[in-house]
Amino acid sequence: MKPFTIGFLILIAIAQPLRAEQPQDIILSHTLQAKQDNAAFLGFDAIRGEQFFKSQHNGGDWSCASCHTDNPAAAGLHTVTKKEIEPMAPSVNPARFTNTSKVEKWFKRNCKDVLNRECTAQEKGDVITYLMSLNR
Amino acid sequence: MSSIKVWDLPTRFFHWLLVLSFAGAFLTAESERNRDLHVLLGYTVLGLIVFRLLWGLIGSRYARFYSFVCSPKVVVLYLCQLIQKQAQHPVGHNPAGAVVIVLLLLLGLGSGLSGWAVYEDIGADWLTEWHELISNAMLVVVCIHITGVVVSSYLQGENLIAAMVTGKKLGHVNQAIASNVASLAWLLLAVVIGLWIWAWPASKDLNWLLHTFSWW
Repeated sequence: MKPFTIGFLILIAIAQPLRAEQPQDIILSHTLQAKQDNAAFLGFDAIRGEQFFKSQHNGGDWSCASCHTDNPAAAGLHTVTKKEIEPMAPSVNPARFTNTSKVEKWFKRNCKDVLNRECTAQEKGDVITYLMSLNR
Repeated sequence: MSSIKVWDLPTRFFHWLLVLSFAGAFLTAESERNRDLHVLLGYTVLGLIVFRLLWGLIGSRYARFYSFVCSPKVVVLYLCQLIQKQAQHPVGHNPAGAVVIVLLLLLGLGSGLSGWAVYEDIGADWLTEWHELISNAMLVVVCIHITGVVVSSYLQGENLIAAMVTGKKLGHVNQAIASNVASLAWLLLAVVIGLWIWAWPASKDLNWLLHTFSWW
């Protein structure tokens, strides 16, 4: 191989981990999981995601919207600490849903607070689809 | 040998307040519902450790770093002697305990500072990971500390947990500390409890208490 080619390949190898994941990548991994969980999986739905986002579950007093508000394209407000939370919609905040481990960590933590259990891939995919459907 | 005062009151108050704060911070870490409590207890850990670092410089004899921080060589030697049951038990911290104390102070400082950075949104996502890693490491060292204290108590036939409550250990009269420095200890306790009352999340919901009193 020519030195140029080698240099090019090395650059690609270095740049690969730096390539941020996209919301689509995260949707895809949830699709695969949802299909595994349920053979009759029919895809994700923004409207179902919105309903899920805005309602309380299992007798709990919180919904996602308790902190992220009914308009996740705007900044949220932590209902306990009163600290501002950056917008959830990728159209407004492109950093959202670009890191799988961060996404999963926060779903796990927040689903326990809202639903008293972990969320299913179907629920998570619906919510991400809803948030991706929001325009600025 | 007689029962003499070894741990001054500020050192003991610091110890048990740190136990409470760290345990509380750990138990409130998992839920956003307790986020403000978690942060309050974490800041308490940080403040307590800053106090202990100062007290390690100007405190009474056995509280000073100078009296117990030692080289790794001394630690290894002590552990070897311990296994051979030939170890001399110092009146203050033993060399193995000293290592654990230094580790706990450093990890507590790291946990508190990284937690503060996470809460104030300074720095990147890796800070959150480090905050968790450092705090879990601290829990591990706490377990080692407790094990060490129980084993040492057994080996030297002296209840070291009780010693951290009463401040008294077995030794010669001339080895005792001169003062308990009680006034500073009560000041420390007052500052911590004052901070908790002032910032305690539940105090926001204490209006019912006021109503009850006004009804009386």
